[in-house]
Amino acid sequence: MTAMPISYNQHIRRFQSLIALLVLCIVLSVLTDKFFTAANGLNVLKQVAVNICIATGMTLIVLTGGIDLSVGSVLALCGAFTAGLLQNGIAIPSADLFIGFTILGAVLVSVIAGALLGLFNGFVITSFKVPPFVATLAMLTIARGFTMLYTGGHPISNLGSGFAFIGTGSIIGIPVPVWIATAVVLLAVFITQKTRLGRYIYAIGGNEIAAKLSGIRINRVKLMVYSIGAALAALGGVIVTSRLDSAQPNAGISYELDAIAAVVIGGTSLTGGKGSVWGTVIGAIIIGVLNNGLVLLNVSPFWQQVVKGGVILLAVVIDKIGEKKE
Amino acid sequence: MKSIIKYILLVLAIGLVGYNSVYLKKLSSVKKTTGENFDAVTYSKKLWDEKLPARLDSAIEITDLIRAVEANPASALDHYSNALGIGNYRYSLVKLTAIAGVINEDEIVLQIAHSDSLLIARLATEFIYGNAVRDASGLVDIKDFTNTTDLNNISEELNKAVRATVLPSFKQKIKQGDKIEMVAATELNKAHINFNNLELIPVRLRIVQ
Repeated sequence: MTAMPISYNQHIRRFQSLIALLVLCIVLSVLTDKFFTAANGLNVLKQVAVNICIATGMTLIVLTGGIDLSVGSVLALCGAFTAGLLQNGIAIPSADLFIGFTILGAVLVSVIAGALLGLFNGFVITSFKVPPFVATLAMLTIARGFTMLYTGGHPISNLGSGFAFIGTGSIIGIPVPVWIATAVVLLAVFITQKTRLGRYIYAIGGNEIAAKLSGIRINRVKLMVYSIGAALAALGGVIVTSRLDSAQPNAGISYELDAIAAVVIGGTSLTGGKGSVWGTVIGAIIIGVLNNGLVLLNVSPFWQQVVKGGVILLAVVIDKIGEKKE
Repeated sequence: MKSIIKYILLVLAIGLVGYNSVYLKKLSSVKKTTGENFDAVTYSKKLWDEKLPARLDSAIEITDLIRAVEANPASALDHYSNALGIGNYRYSLVKLTAIAGVINEDEIVLQIAHSDSLLIARLATEFIYGNAVRDASGLVDIKDFTNTTDLNNISEELNKAVRATVLPSFKQKIKQGDKIEMVAATELNKAHINFNNLELIPVRLRIVQ
């Protein structure tokens, strides 16, 4: 009999993000009739698709007890790579050779480049024991600098209607970015719930020393996780570039904060070991709905930032209180 | 045996993806079909030397522009200003005579006689940036360009020309109280038209006395 209230609390805790989302949707539906429409729902999903991609990768990283602050810059650099390869290809004058890239090729190269940047982050973190916060902060600056160098500080535009389909097209009425985000989420859920890598990720975040003693190759897992995180940021870069039909050198600024916010609001512990990809998806949608609702309610952009920060703070405080109770 | 098949399938898949990802051509043939890269320096020099002078000669007097805008803003801005992009900002080439007021490091405050009053304007003499000269000229058509980098480079080259050819000798000679004749590019906000405190980017400058 005494076990009942604990179980009830655990249930509430498990679904707290979803409950928060539902409450938010109900409140916004009451406050504005423009909110609860199919078109607005699709619009919100389209807007959060990029954040879902980035935040999904961030979830895997945070679950290991790490963090990646460089995702916004990696997004910009890989977006610029995609645009540059599509528009200019690679010219090798000495061999009188021009290597052109199809959309598939440009996207693949960019995602691979993103993965390599993540691999470098992981290498610095695991080999030199540099705290992830510092290593990825350095990459944030490096990648942004390379973006500026590559683009010369100018946007790369007019990438063609075929490429624009990735960011602006629809399949059976649902925007392509939403399909991409769905595929990313399902893959990440599969990895975290059904594979050895997923179990290792949780184990490392839960107790790194115990994980090491039980034979898990911690460095290898971390390398993979940072690579996946950066590759997904690169994929986000492809979507952003396609949506704008232009690679902007300033793209992705502060996207890392939105991704971390989605992870935290979704209930993933910043110390690692606890959380889920589904929680992050809910977290990203909460941020998207909040942004959308505040815009529909004509709230000043300055207040929007305050409210968003307040919600993140509230999410962390509620999480901590829940942890204490458990 | 199974692993051999697995590797063969893997190689085939990679080959297929690779085949659909890149294509190889002779660089010389690509250059022939697409033309050489856009040369902003040559393009801008030609525009500055050959096409712009006629536009400067036909620039509207600022006082006429003010009167036209006061009478019918939409029609006046359509006639006497240009813009490459959408939005409220329009750019005009204006002719004016002014008296140099305070001379600062980066600008000169100008007094322009208009009706019975004096307008104040700021003549930029140090920081020549933006698209005012390019857009005010009305000589560049966005449809002729496939990327914004080329358009930005034209602006940069025109701004360089202002910095290199228009300003140096003027800055050496100008004194407070001098009368100046000029043609300048200026930005107007369609939603908030205000002719006082305009920033002027000089394209042709002459100290009269």
